[in-house]
Amino acid sequence: MAANKVFNVAVFFVVFRECLEAAVIVSVLLSFLKQSIGSNDMATYKRLRMHVWIGVVAGFIICMAIGGGFIGAYYRYENDIFGSAEDLWEGVFCIIATLMISVMGIAMLRVNKMQAKWRVKIAKAMLEVPKDRRKKWSLKYWATRYSMFLLPFITVLREGLEAVVFVAGAGITTKDSKATAYPLPVVIGLIAGIIVGTLLYYGTSKSSLQIFLVISTCVLYLIASGLFSRGVWYFDNYYFNKKTGGDASESGDGNGSYNILRTVYHVNCCNPELDNGWDIFNSLLGWQNTGYLSSILAYNLYWLVLMIVIGLMMYEERNGHLPFCKNLKLRQLKPSYYLKRKQNEELTAAEQEELFKQVNNLGVDEEGNVVVNKGDTTKVNVELVK
Amino acid sequence: MKVSTHHFLPSLLVALWSWATVAQAATHTFNWTTGWGNYNVDGNFERPVITCNGEFPWPDLKVKRGDRIQVYLTNGFDDRNTSLHFHGLSQNGTNMMDGPEMITQCPIAPGDTMLYNFTIDDNDGTYWYHSHTGGQYQDGMKGTLVVEPEDSLPFDYDEEVVVQLAEWYYDNVDTLDRKFMNVYNPTGAEPIPQNLIINNTRNMTWNVEPDTTYLLRIVNTGGFVSQYFWIEDHDMTVVEVDGVYVEKNTTSMLYITVAQRYSVLIHTKNDTSKNYAIMQKFDDTMLDVIPNDLMLNATSYMMYDKDGEKPEQSYVDSIDDFLDDFYLTPLDKVELYEDPDYTITVDVVMDNLKNGVNYAFFNNLTFTAPKVPTLMTALSAGKDALNPLVYGTNTNAFVLKKDEIIEIVLNNNDTGKHPFHLHGHIFQLVDRERGYDDAIGEGPHPFDPEDHNPFPDYPMMRDTVYVNPQSSIVLRFKADNPGVWFFHCHIEWHLKQGLALLLIEAPEEMQNTESQQLTDNHKQVCENVGLSWEGNAAGNTNDFLDLVGQNVQVANIPDGFTAKGIVAMTFSCLAGVLGLISLSTYGLMGVKKSEEEIIRDLGMDPDAVEKVDVSDINSDEDSSRTSKNIE
Repeated sequence: MAANKVFNVAVFFVVFRECLEAAVIVSVLLSFLKQSIGSNDMATYKRLRMHVWIGVVAGFIICMAIGGGFIGAYYRYENDIFGSAEDLWEGVFCIIATLMISVMGIAMLRVNKMQAKWRVKIAKAMLEVPKDRRKKWSLKYWATRYSMFLLPFITVLREGLEAVVFVAGAGITTKDSKATAYPLPVVIGLIAGIIVGTLLYYGTSKSSLQIFLVISTCVLYLIASGLFSRGVWYFDNYYFNKKTGGDASESGDGNGSYNILRTVYHVNCCNPELDNGWDIFNSLLGWQNTGYLSSILAYNLYWLVLMIVIGLMMYEERNGHLPFCKNLKLRQLKPSYYLKRKQNEELTAAEQEELFKQVNNLGVDEEGNVVVNKGDTTKVNVELVK
Repeated sequence: MKVSTHHFLPSLLVALWSWATVAQAATHTFNWTTGWGNYNVDGNFERPVITCNGEFPWPDLKVKRGDRIQVYLTNGFDDRNTSLHFHGLSQNGTNMMDGPEMITQCPIAPGDTMLYNFTIDDNDGTYWYHSHTGGQYQDGMKGTLVVEPEDSLPFDYDEEVVVQLAEWYYDNVDTLDRKFMNVYNPTGAEPIPQNLIINNTRNMTWNVEPDTTYLLRIVNTGGFVSQYFWIEDHDMTVVEVDGVYVEKNTTSMLYITVAQRYSVLIHTKNDTSKNYAIMQKFDDTMLDVIPNDLMLNATSYMMYDKDGEKPEQSYVDSIDDFLDDFYLTPLDKVELYEDPDYTITVDVVMDNLKNGVNYAFFNNLTFTAPKVPTLMTALSAGKDALNPLVYGTNTNAFVLKKDEIIEIVLNNNDTGKHPFHLHGHIFQLVDRERGYDDAIGEGPHPFDPEDHNPFPDYPMMRDTVYVNPQSSIVLRFKADNPGVWFFHCHIEWHLKQGLALLLIEAPEEMQNTESQQLTDNHKQVCENVGLSWEGNAAGNTNDFLDLVGQNVQVANIPDGFTAKGIVAMTFSCLAGVLGLISLSTYGLMGVKKSEEEIIRDLGMDPDAVEKVDVSDINSDEDSSRTSKNIE
């Protein structure tokens, strides 16, 4: 427990990951501004750059406030919230955390793709011009005028809240974790994310950065697989404790402290919840001194599924589609693809080219708003700038 | 000549026995058929109980020393066996009438009848009888037995009252058993009773006369909890424990484990204006949990004035002031048996076996019944009967030589109290150490022969004693009663968990004694239940040393990793490593490709870009290149 009192590994990686994404967005935004406006109008560029940073800081502060409140409240009311179903909730949070890490983790390996995605998104956002400019005090007008503030603000807020939800969840998934286990990993995660983001912006050796990202991702997925296994383990433990009336938790490590009928292995030591040191193995690798059939299967199946998905992604990157399905891409398998009607927003290479051309023609009108220079926008696709 | 000296003077005893049989021995014949009926014991809840000839409770018996008892016990159940044990009788020469199934007899099959036929030559005092088949007495198959001496008792009294204490469950033992011996009861937590009962009821009323001496024969016929017992404002003078008359000892409170008996004298007051509470209290330290709705006290009424107000329950300042039976002295002052010829040291442990069920162990063996009742093995094994092996390796069998002084050193490594009972004997309690409380971090303290309490000159003798938590007791007795005697914890749950051992006393003498031979009825009972009445513990009649096929306990839980665990670990590690390799491969090999993709996305020719800027590919290449493109 000693380790968990000051440093929660899962929290660190999640904060790092979210911070990195926010840094990518901000860096993309800043480089757009530099290219399009910085070359023409230095004063406006500086003003807009200030907007960006104010947005980043504002978003960050709000996130920290919400996150702090969230975690504080959890530790204050912990027992009231979960009561005897603690193991069940730990299991549920473990599974949720696993899903979150699994879905977002792999994007870290394609930080350049992440950059590209955000370039398109930001370009679209910047080109959004209100149709009716007479309503000076309308929300839309305001949003346009301060778009350079709103974009990073919303981005940081969104990524930050994602991290907050996870951090709170990760805390719950670590039994006997203390509120003191958060500040350090959060701060270090932030610092690491900002350093990597800065490196991305100013440019550094691509290969060493990529190796760093690969290692981080590997650790992240080790944690995720461990969390998944732990989640299933907690379900089993919950079931056992419920059937025994909580007797087992009195028994420490020894015989009777676990459901032997579902056990693959058990060692009377190294209990992550009781013995110092083993909790690190628990949070990093999902170690339990009792291996239930379900938790071991979960661990192995997690890696199997991950390897299959990676295989599919590699195939798609090489061939442009999934094996045996010429018109199917991985993202088309995601439900959100249809929910958000993303198929309408998919850009062809030509459309993207057009989009970036427009972004580079950004200018500032007499009121100080960011606008697209009219002369070059003959080919603007209305659907596209929606 | 005092009556109570007879136990220990065999020659005198024989003389008396012949005198008794000649002079006034009576034969009491009972025809009892077991069955089920519904009965509301505590006034709150009606439940199925085991009946005797359709009636409940079972009869309380009163006989005279030297009398013959003949019980024709017919098994009236249709789905279970039964048996009957008279608790505390020495059954000298009639071991096969003792009753525990698979020890001295085969279980009685449904529809079958067994005759328990013996004389009570060596005992008088307070006794009881009960089924010795898995928990049946907790469902009501039990009663008290008072044996009057041939002469007068060594004390005066006016009237005699038998008080039968017990705990009561609302579920029957079958239901409780399923939950108890279960993987989901990993700590072996004993089921919690719903009530304490007295004379098979609750809130009993006892009308007393003033200025009268009552002899209360108090028997705890429960199967689990010990009880504190006291009567408001009335002292009790203990005169007998477990059939042993003791020097008078006055106390205000008794502590009675299951199966123990205390006879006390109570002299009533002259004043009849007030009625007094008779109190029973759970020893709640024996309960795994104390449910909110469990009444730890039970109140009955000692009524001087029948029409008067019933007393409120009586509180005491401390329940630690009960009589410690260790300090009682038998009236006939049997001296401490010196220098045991044979010392049996056993350690009590509760632990789980591979099926997840919690068992109780003597020296790492949980008693597992043999395939042939041990007495029948002893009678059929010839010379091999002296070899403990023939009684099985999972029965904790010890063979004792005739007239040896036997010492049992019992170290209780468990954190609970246990009342241990020896069949066929009363023993001297020569040492009982204090309890050690695990709640304050104390560990088990086994008996240390070099450092223990001084042994008393005239140790207390009885047939059931408790050992304190994580502590020890030392018992001594003389092996003067040939037979197979069961030594076990009298908590019925713990007996089910296997907290028992076997003492096979002078088997060769048994083989040569006419009265110890199996009756046809015994053999028939075995045949009707499909068991052999000869052979070793495995049922082998040819080679008594060949135990192939004997009953053994469930396997131990293995230490550390088994093959299964190693396979699981290996696969998990392999899965992890392969997963990391594929992640890394994807992470490293994909870079170039995706750069090209983005460059294409931006409408440029990747080859051209490569030529322009190969050495310095950095992360914001996309944006810088875009701007180059514009320029």
